[in-house]
Amino acid sequence: MPADRLSATFAALADPTRRAILARLACGETSVTELAEPFDMTLPAVSKHLKVLERAGLIARSRDAQWRPSRLEGRALKDAAEWLEHYRRFWDQSFGRLDAYLSELQARETIAKPGEDV
Amino acid sequence: MPEHAKSGATESDIEFVIARVFDAPRDLVFKVWTEPAHLMRWWGPKGFTMQKCAIDLRPGGAFHYGLKGPDGSDMWGRFVYREIVVPERLVFVVSFTDKDGNVVRHPWNPDWPLEILSTVTFAAQDGRTKITVRWVPYNATDKERDTFRTGRESMQQGWTGTFDQLADYLMKA
Repeated sequence: MPADRLSATFAALADPTRRAILARLACGETSVTELAEPFDMTLPAVSKHLKVLERAGLIARSRDAQWRPSRLEGRALKDAAEWLEHYRRFWDQSFGRLDAYLSELQARETIAKPGEDV
Repeated sequence: MPEHAKSGATESDIEFVIARVFDAPRDLVFKVWTEPAHLMRWWGPKGFTMQKCAIDLRPGGAFHYGLKGPDGSDMWGRFVYREIVVPERLVFVVSFTDKDGNVVRHPWNPDWPLEILSTVTFAAQDGRTKITVRWVPYNATDKERDTFRTGRESMQQGWTGTFDQLADYLMKA
């Protein structure tokens, strides 16, 4: 995936309303009107968010049907999630290794201390 | 230099914080954060090995590291130290680099801030040590700050995992 695409996905995901729209679309295809309801937003406002999501490749909108239902696209979402997951994992696992290493150091120190029962 | 006051964003708005308590005295924990022989044993995700670890522990000095992943991929980075208070506090600027230590963009996300100011505090708690890591974008553009904010929200609130599962499901469906 090209870097500028990931960048667009990221910008789209930055907004909590757009994340909520994605979560709603996880339940299935939905029209703009239906999407607008729970968010207490005007149709143009929802359309604007959908345009951003579409450009980022996070959703696709049908051209055929009159009501132009939106549906979730998995690929872009997966790329963005993987990227962030990588960051989280870096710290999580480094800290896990640090924890184990500190225990190892202290166990060694206890054994090495002279004049103590081993 | 961007003016953050303009957008109304405060540093705490955008700060990424992680904290964890380690069952070891503070002096030891500080030592394993600042000595190469120790850092080589734990810095980086599981399965990664340190291929370079050079530390010049003084303000303006740097920790330059190179990690090799299990798939043979390289990851280079550096911390440039700004403040060292033994054994309480480290302040440094984090960047990705090439193997010669030149600052480079994040390999996967060009809008990630080039520099991140990192403050690590070591608090003694009855023989244990609480480490708190705080990150804020440093000298960042507005776009970089936005990218950082998204990443931060995901990492702190854990919505990435949810979307990850969802994406997995959608790929299979």
